[in-house]
Amino acid sequence: MTAREEGQAMQPMLKTEELAVGYGASPLLAGVDLSVTPGQIVTLIGPNGAGKSTLLRTVAGELAPLGGVAYLSGRRLDKLSDRERALELSVLLTERLRTDLMTCEDVVETGRLPHTGRLGILSPDDHDRVRAAMELVGVWEFRTNDFMRLSDGQRQRVLLARAICQEPRLLVLDEPTSYLDIRYQIELLGVLRQLVATRGLGILMSLHELPLARRISDWVVCVKDGDITMQGSPEQVFVPEVIDALYDLEPGVYDATTGSVELPADRR
Amino acid sequence: MRHSQGTEAQADPLAVRRTRVCATFALLAVLLLVAATLNLCLGSLHVPLSDLLDVLAGRDRTSTVYQVIWSIRLPRLIAAGLLGGALALSGLLLQTFFNNPIAGPYILGVSSGAKLVVAATMILVVGSSGVLTSWMLVLAAFVGSTLAMVFVLVVSQRIRSASMLIVAGVMVGYICSALTDFLITFASDANIVNLRNWSQGSFSGINWTDVATLTVVVVPAAAFALALSKPMAAYQLGERYALSVGVNVRAFRVGLIALSSLLAACVTAFAGPISFVGIAVPHIVKRLLGTSRPLVVVPASFLGGAIFCLACDLIARTALAPTEVSISAVTALFGAPVVIAILLGRQRQVD
Repeated sequence: MTAREEGQAMQPMLKTEELAVGYGASPLLAGVDLSVTPGQIVTLIGPNGAGKSTLLRTVAGELAPLGGVAYLSGRRLDKLSDRERALELSVLLTERLRTDLMTCEDVVETGRLPHTGRLGILSPDDHDRVRAAMELVGVWEFRTNDFMRLSDGQRQRVLLARAICQEPRLLVLDEPTSYLDIRYQIELLGVLRQLVATRGLGILMSLHELPLARRISDWVVCVKDGDITMQGSPEQVFVPEVIDALYDLEPGVYDATTGSVELPADRR
Repeated sequence: MRHSQGTEAQADPLAVRRTRVCATFALLAVLLLVAATLNLCLGSLHVPLSDLLDVLAGRDRTSTVYQVIWSIRLPRLIAAGLLGGALALSGLLLQTFFNNPIAGPYILGVSSGAKLVVAATMILVVGSSGVLTSWMLVLAAFVGSTLAMVFVLVVSQRIRSASMLIVAGVMVGYICSALTDFLITFASDANIVNLRNWSQGSFSGINWTDVATLTVVVVPAAAFALALSKPMAAYQLGERYALSVGVNVRAFRVGLIALSSLLAACVTAFAGPISFVGIAVPHIVKRLLGTSRPLVVVPASFLGGAIFCLACDLIARTALAPTEVSISAVTALFGAPVVIAILLGRQRQVD
C-alpha cells in the first residue's frame, strides 16, 4: 500500500466517489471508488464487457456519470468546460482512425489544440513540444509520412505522442498495447514509466496483458460483473486466487511466478 | 529554421509545406482572375479586353457593352463565384461531419430538398400575391435543405455504413426531385418556363438585388466556416478525439449542419441544384495543397469552388450558344469523374 499512501499526501489527479457508469439508465458498473495520484500508474483489468472502457469513457468526459462524482485535480469533472478538461486529461483510444492527407506530425499536432488560440495555429513552442513528444515515443522519423501508410503499431505510437504533447496531468489509455508486438509493448511501458517519473503525471489505463499489467502498475483495479471486485498493489492482486476468480479460470491455470496464463495441455 | 540541431539533409518539411500552400493559393488566384476575365469577355457579344477595362472603369456608359457587362455578366459572375464557393464549403463541411469524402449537398439530397420547397413556394406565392423576394427564396430553400438534412441525419443514426448513407441521400434526392416535377407539371403559370430552367440549375437571370442578398448570406457563412477550422482540425481524428482536445462536439456538429444547409440552400435558391461541386472541389484542392488542414483547405475550397463554377458557367453559356446548357450538366461532367477517382483511391488504400 506504500504507493497509495504516499499518493494520498498529494492532490489526486483523479478521484471517484461511488461513481456509476454505463449507457442509458441502468449502470454497467457502479460504486467505483478509485484515485490516481501524481506519478502513479493505475491499471484496470478484468474480462471483456466488464465495463473497463465505459469507466474510461466516463472519466474522459464522453459519457455522463449515472451516479456518484468524479474529480479531476480536485474539481468536479461535470463542472469543467470542454477546454478545461482537455488541459487536465488526454486519451489514447483503440478505435481505428481513417485520416485523409494527414502526416504523422499533423496527427500529433492536434494534441496541442487546447493550448492554441481561436484558429488553432501552433506557436514555435508548440512545435517544439510536438517534436519532443514524437522523439520520446520514437516516431519523429515518420513525421512527414502519411498516417494511413503506417503499420497499426506505429499508428498507436503516433497517437500516444499526440496524447503526450497535449500535456495533461492525467493520461487515460484504453488498451494501449493493442496492435503492438511484444517489443513495442515493452517499449511503450518504458515510455509510460518515464512519463510518470519525469513529468509526474498520472496514468489510468486498461490492459489485457496480465504480465505487462503486473510489471508496470502501481495499483491494480479488478473489474468484473458490474463491480470493482478488488483493488490493490500488483503483489496483492496478482495471486492465483484473485486472478482465477476474476477470469473464472480453473485453479492452477494462472502462474503467479511468471504472471502468465497457462493453457491446459489438452487444449494446446 | 526552427531546429538548428536538425540533422535532416532535406529542407525543413514545414517550409516545404508552406511554399506549397502559398503556391497553391497563387495558382488559385491566377485561375480566378483568368476565369473571371473570360466570363466577362466571352459570350454572344465578344468584348475585347481593352473595352472590358474601359467599361469596368466606368467609361462608355451608354454603350451596349456597358449594359451587357454591368447588368448581365458582372452580377452573374459574382453570383457564380460566391455560390460556387458556397457549394464547395457546404460539401467540405458535410465531408467533415460524416467523415466521408463523397458526402456533399447534392448527393445527400439536401439541394433537392431545398429545390422542392422553393418550387412549392414559387408556385404558391406567385399564384396568390405574385411578389417573391430573393429573401423568401433563401428562407424557403433553407427550410427545404434543413428538412432533407434532418431526414438524412435520422437515417444515418440507424445505419453506420458510409456507402448506405450516400444511397439514402440519393434516394431522398430522387423523392424530392420527383415531387418537384409533379409540382411543376400541375402548376399552370406563365412562370413555368422560368421554374423549369431554374430547377435544372442555371446562373442566368441573376440581378444585383440577388447578388446583394446572397453576399449577405454567403460571406458571413464562409467566415463562420473559417472560424470553425480549429474544431474541424480536431474532428479529423473523429468525434472522441475531438472531445478529448476540448471541442464541444454537440455544438460543433450542429454548427456544421446548419452552415452547410444554409450554404447549399442559398445556392439552390438562386441557381437551382448544382451537382458534384461540393465533392470534387475540396478533393482537388486538398491534393493541390498536399494537406487536409482545415485552416488552409476552407479558404482554398471557397476559391476553388468559385473557379470551378465560373469555368462551368462559361462552358454552359458558350458551348452550345445561343442555347444554354444547364450548369448542373457541366458540373456533373467534370465533377462525377472526380468522385470515381476518390472511390478508386479509397479502394487502393484498403487493398
